[in-house]
Amino acid sequence: MRGSFFGLNIALTGLYTAQRNLNIVNHNISNANTEGFSRQYAVQSAATPIPMYDGTGMVGTGSEVTGVKRMRDEYLDYKYWSENRTYGEWSVKEELLAELEATFNEPSKSGFTFIFGEFYDALQELSKDPGNQSIKALVRQQGITVAKYFNSLASHFEKLQADVNQRVQIKVDEINSLASQIQELNRQIYISELDGNTANDLRDRRTLLVDKLSQIVNIETNEIVVGKLPNGEDATHFSITISGHTLVDHFTVNKLVVKQRDDSSKLNEEDIPNLYDIYWQDGNSAIIRGGELRGYLDVRDGNDGKVGINGSSASPSYKGIPYYIRKLNEFVRVFAKAFNEGEIVNGDGTVTKLLGHADGYRADSGAGDTTPAGIRFFTMIGNDGNPMSSKDFLSLGGSDIYENITAKHFSVSLDIMEDFNAICTSGAPGELENKDILDSILKMRHNTHMFSEGAPEDFIKSLVTTLGIDSQQAIRYSDIQHTIVSQIESRRMAVSGVSIDEEVTNLVKFQHSYNAAARMITTLAEIYNTLINKMGV
Amino acid sequence: MRITNSMLINNMIGYINNNLGRMEKYQYQYATGKKIQVPSDDPVVAARALKLRTDVSEVEQYQRNVDDATSWLELTEDALASIGNILQRARELAVDAANSGVKTPDDLKKIAEEIKQLKSQIVHIGNTTYSGRYIFSGYKTDKKLLNDDGTFAIDVDTGRESIYYEIGIGDDINVNVLGGDLFNDGGDATAGSTGRLIADFDKYIAALESGDFDTVRSMINVLDDDMDTVLRVRADVGARINRLELTSNRLVSDNLNFNKLMSLNEDVDLAEIAIKIKNEENVYRASLAIGARIIMTSLVDFIS
Repeated sequence: MRGSFFGLNIALTGLYTAQRNLNIVNHNISNANTEGFSRQYAVQSAATPIPMYDGTGMVGTGSEVTGVKRMRDEYLDYKYWSENRTYGEWSVKEELLAELEATFNEPSKSGFTFIFGEFYDALQELSKDPGNQSIKALVRQQGITVAKYFNSLASHFEKLQADVNQRVQIKVDEINSLASQIQELNRQIYISELDGNTANDLRDRRTLLVDKLSQIVNIETNEIVVGKLPNGEDATHFSITISGHTLVDHFTVNKLVVKQRDDSSKLNEEDIPNLYDIYWQDGNSAIIRGGELRGYLDVRDGNDGKVGINGSSASPSYKGIPYYIRKLNEFVRVFAKAFNEGEIVNGDGTVTKLLGHADGYRADSGAGDTTPAGIRFFTMIGNDGNPMSSKDFLSLGGSDIYENITAKHFSVSLDIMEDFNAICTSGAPGELENKDILDSILKMRHNTHMFSEGAPEDFIKSLVTTLGIDSQQAIRYSDIQHTIVSQIESRRMAVSGVSIDEEVTNLVKFQHSYNAAARMITTLAEIYNTLINKMGV
Repeated sequence: MRITNSMLINNMIGYINNNLGRMEKYQYQYATGKKIQVPSDDPVVAARALKLRTDVSEVEQYQRNVDDATSWLELTEDALASIGNILQRARELAVDAANSGVKTPDDLKKIAEEIKQLKSQIVHIGNTTYSGRYIFSGYKTDKKLLNDDGTFAIDVDTGRESIYYEIGIGDDINVNVLGGDLFNDGGDATAGSTGRLIADFDKYIAALESGDFDTVRSMINVLDDDMDTVLRVRADVGARINRLELTSNRLVSDNLNFNKLMSLNEDVDLAEIAIKIKNEENVYRASLAIGARIIMTSLVDFIS
């Protein structure tokens, strides 16, 4: 081809290509710190050559940019999503269990071990001088401290359960919001890609949203091929499912909703009222298997797999807030029963009857009294917010009245609150120094049959240790997952991240080619000058 | 592998955060002297710490109980010693009075006056109190054991009314001497009746007043028997005090042991932590310095 001005066209494509490349470098540098951004590159090729029909070969027509692609290894995205959900779950558990541990506050001078020790020290002092009013006052005070410790622990746990419940709702809202954004991006991406382009930046944004979603809940993603685009590429629909139920499918989105449980559908006996259950908009119950949401649900509902009070659904087999409340309730029930009635239920269900506080006679009883005073040292806080008297407590009914006591309502009885002479140490009337009752109660501290875990202090010790081990496990898993996720993130960055050095090198490279192409035009201009103005004149 | 700038920055943040995490842990350990803050730091150490705390607090309580038991028993011993002295004096007087050839019935009446004094002193000792509690009254420490005339004021069941103080897990010690044991030669005390010791004195006084030399002479043996009773009780009390001393020694060494174990279990070696902190500090400084140098530069700095 001997067209006179053809060279200018070639030079022009060079300028255009260099410029396009420079713009991409510019875009990459601008987004060097943009979250989720993948570096882009131009797909550049030589333009279609023109064949010469005189047998002198083909003439190149310059360069062209046929597309802009993003550097992305989608396999790493899938890996990231599947690991991130486990990280989400354990990081939530780590945080919440740390909060539970702080509530127990062991080992310290304000934890159970210390308070319980002080109570028993006071009882020991009383055993040496059962008639001493000031020591009785001390025993009462230490008894109140023990009761208050459990009240405060249980209230803390209930408060925490309410907080976690709130967070469940927030997370559900977050899932819905992310799902809507992803659905909107699906639309934009689909439309943008209809003509065969790749919507790089939009896809980056969608991946970033899925990253966030993958931490909250277990998701599976799919890009389903539904047909062919006019240019021959696959037409795809992007969908996300949670445990098999569709959250986002191309242009449609199914949202999650929370419903309050009413009193009849409580899961655990220990639960506070109105906890949320998660449902799909279509009414099906949502199954959450991973992510932060699973972490919240496990800690909120976890009762070590115990079957719920509705008798059918089991609680998550994780030791969460209800488990610890249940164990505290168990402690106060068994301990109060032993302390008051002297009844120890053995492992095989038989009851060993020892002397309990109710078998005691008041210090001011006369020698003629033939029946014990029947005062229960520990009862519970009644509906009016005051401690119950032994009489009111006994009239509560139920197969075992001690089942009525909860850690939150554990209390020293009204009889003793009103008059510390109601503390009964004697097993016989009118005997000041007789302390059969007190001796029996003192021995209970070491009664290893009281709980399946052993003596009272062993029980709490084992509870605190269980929590410590679970918490340690959560910290470890969370650490391990964090390392794995960081590592995948690192690999993703290795592929997709913007390297300033690389971009600047490319900048220089494309600047050179721009300069050279421009130089080409100057040269051609000189040629035309020679050709047009100087030749044959 | 391709390394990008944001990888370097993320890694730097991660590394420095890890450094600070370790520094924070050592700082806590150094500031509190304890290995653990919460059970999850080391559940095994936490479980042992709880157990040892209970053990130490119990031992301390048992030490207080031993001290109280000791002072109760020492007071009892003093009372018994006094009764012993009184009996000794009464016996001397009996030996003296039995000299029928020398003493006249008038002399005996004078001796009878002294014996009456001795008897009321015994009654007084029988009502000895320890911080307001009658020590020989069994369970009824709020009531006197003896009336002024020496008869028992209350019932004391010698088989039942012993008071025990707990001085170890499953280990207790009887701190009181029962009125019947001492004043009625091992029998019970029954309200209104007269115990053997007092009855002997009454018989003695009656014999002196009536000038019955034979009976007075026979009192020497009777008083010897009574002294034997007191000695038997004293020996028992002495043995108990002895046992308390041994227990006290054992509790002191238990306390030391438990505290030592507690320290081994949960206290940190400050020197070791100091070295570790220093080491961490070096690492921290180095990672800051190197991080700052690495993230500062890029190719841009060299292209003009």
